[in-house]
Amino acid sequence: MTTIVGIKTKDGVVLGSDKRASKGFFIGSKIVQKIAKIDETLAVAIAGQLSDAEYIIKVAKAERRLMELRRGFPLTVKESTRLIANLAYSGLRNYQPYYVELLVAGVDQHGAHVYAADMSGAITSEDFASSGSGSPIAYGVLESLYNKEIKNEQAKEIATRAVAAAMERDPGSGNGIDVLAIPTITMEVAA
Amino acid sequence: MSESSNAGRFPFYGPQGRLVLVDSALEAVSRGSTTIGIKTPKFAILSSQIKPTHPLIEPSEKIFSIDYHVGATGAGYIGDILQLIDTLRLEAQKHKLTYESPIDTDSLAKHLSTYLHNYTTYAVRPQAASIILAGADETGVQLYQVDPSGTFFRGSGFVIGQASDIALDVVTKEYSADLTQQQAIDLSKKAIEKALGEKPIVETGIVLAGENTFHKIPFEKGN
Repeated sequence: MTTIVGIKTKDGVVLGSDKRASKGFFIGSKIVQKIAKIDETLAVAIAGQLSDAEYIIKVAKAERRLMELRRGFPLTVKESTRLIANLAYSGLRNYQPYYVELLVAGVDQHGAHVYAADMSGAITSEDFASSGSGSPIAYGVLESLYNKEIKNEQAKEIATRAVAAAMERDPGSGNGIDVLAIPTITMEVAA
Repeated sequence: MSESSNAGRFPFYGPQGRLVLVDSALEAVSRGSTTIGIKTPKFAILSSQIKPTHPLIEPSEKIFSIDYHVGATGAGYIGDILQLIDTLRLEAQKHKLTYESPIDTDSLAKHLSTYLHNYTTYAVRPQAASIILAGADETGVQLYQVDPSGTFFRGSGFVIGQASDIALDVVTKEYSADLTQQQAIDLSKKAIEKALGEKPIVETGIVLAGENTFHKIPFEKGN
C-alpha cells in the first residue's frame, strides 16, 4: 500500500507521499507521516512495514550523528544509503527481512541525490523514483512530466500530481498529500 | 605508604606517576629508525630511514599503503609497526564495506589511538611503535602522528625515531607551506642525514591532494 515519490532537481530534492495507512481492506489511519526527516539535509520516504522503517531510520539517525561527531563532517547521502542498505541486507540474510522500500533523498557537498533502497539491500541512484502500491500510476505522471532541468518549486508540483493521480485509482493510497523539499547546501567558503 | 614501595607492587604507575610501560615503549620508539612526515596544503610526504643490514638481506619495507588514499610509516619494533599497519588496513576496508566510501584520515588516526590506548590499560605490553599517517579526504591532505600511549597529533611536520629532536629542528627551520614535492623530499632526507651524521637510505611515499592518491616513491640506493 502507499504511494511515495522522490525527485532530484537542479537545486535539491523533493519527496512526496500520501497519508493513508491500510489494515487489510480497512483504513487504519488517515494522517500518517510517511516522510521522515533524518536531519536538515537528509530525509527518507517510507513504503511497507512502518515499524521496520521506523527502526531503520532510528539507527540511521544515530549512526549519522555519531559519524559526524567522530570525523567532523557528516555522512554523504550515498554513505547514509549504503548504511541503511546494509541493515536491510543483514535482515534478508537472517530470514527476517525488514519489510520496507525506502526512498532516501538528500543533499551533500556533491549535490542532490535520490536513492531507492529496498529489503533486498540493493540501492539504485535515480533521477526520480516511486514506491508502494500506487507507484505504477505515479510513475506514469513522473515519466511524462519529469525533465532534468526542473527545480524544487516545479518538482513539488509534479510530486503532488503524481501522488494525487495514484490516490485516484489505488485503494491503498489516499487521504491527502505530504511534500518535503530539501534545497542544496551552498558551500561556505573556508576562512 | 612511601612512593617507592608502591612502585614495587603496582605495575603500571612509576614513582613519578608516569606509566612506566608506556614510557619504555616511547623509549624504544626513540631508538627506532628516523622517520619523517611533512604536509603542505597540496601534498604530504612520508620518509623513513632504512637501517643498513647485511648485504645479502633485503631491507624491510618502511612505507606502507593503507588504502588508495592513505599511507603510513612508523618507528619502533618492526613487528609492532606491521601489526598496527594491518589494523589500519582492516579499519579502512571495514569503513568501505559499511559506507561504500574511502575512510577519512581522522577516523583512522582515532581508531589507531583507541587501539593503542587499550594496551595501556591492561597488563600487557604496549606496542613499541609510533605511526605517522598521511591521507587525503574531503577535508584535504592530513598528517597525523600516533604514539604508543594513544596520544595523537595533527600537524604539518613530524619526526619520530632516532635523533628525532635534531631532525625536527631541521624540518621546523626549513618548513614552508609552499614547498614543492621535491623540496619536501629533499628536506626530509637532509633532516635524516643531519640527525644520523651519515648519508642514509631513505624510503619515501607521497599523498596528493585533488587526486587523493598515495604512492610510494621507488628509492635509489645510497640516495
